[in-house]
Amino acid sequence: MPNNKFTLRTENREGQTVVFLSGEFDLEVATQMRTTMEPLIELTDRRLTLNLHDLKYIDSTGIGILISIVKARHARSASFDVEHVPTHILKLFDMTGVTPFLAKAE
Amino acid sequence: MTTDRNVKLTVPALPEYVDLVRLTLYGVATKMKFTFEDIEDMKVAVSEACNNAVLHAYGGDQGEIEVQFNSSVDELSITVRDYGRAFRIAESNETPSLHGKSIDEIQSGGLGLYLMQALMDNVVVHQDGGTVVTLTKKRMKSEETA
Repeated sequence: MPNNKFTLRTENREGQTVVFLSGEFDLEVATQMRTTMEPLIELTDRRLTLNLHDLKYIDSTGIGILISIVKARHARSASFDVEHVPTHILKLFDMTGVTPFLAKAE
Repeated sequence: MTTDRNVKLTVPALPEYVDLVRLTLYGVATKMKFTFEDIEDMKVAVSEACNNAVLHAYGGDQGEIEVQFNSSVDELSITVRDYGRAFRIAESNETPSLHGKSIDEIQSGGLGLYLMQALMDNVVVHQDGGTVVTLTKKRMKSEETA
């Protein structure tokens, strides 16, 4: 599907790992997302941030994975936040109540 | 003037086909001149119904999902049907949303039906030799409706 293909790009900054998500984050890509995030979740001395600026779509599958990351990072006393959330995706975060758990959601 | 129009689509009950349903929905809803926001709402809701069928209906066996888009003058009704085993679709009235919960209480599953109900005007689930989910969205005359 043009422009909607899900991609993940990881960028390492000083003390922080930023993962850029783009396209459609749905059931089809759940395994890919989990596989990418698992080792990053264990890097507890680094901030972990998801940049959603280019994310076009998310549903309960994607939101469920975000909740899993929130819980895993919390259990490890490590930080996790989400930045540049598009309006229509923030609406779903607000609707489900996940927003307060994604520290930097705006 | 009140003629209903139907678009039908049958896809394999596999994750990689759910985006085809969203694409079709986009086409149908655009023809009906739904707003961008309404279309985004419906994309999520119809995907949730399909996800349930993909994940639970056929228990790993091959199966199909039939989606029917029925457009009338003032609403779009989308029926998502599978012929697999009927799966439990959260009958309780308890809200599975995360509002007011602590980080230890929140769970990553069970938000699908909640989102369907929050995003559509009407959701009906019928289970009889499979599962039929009917999602209805009314077309607003004005975008100013809060």
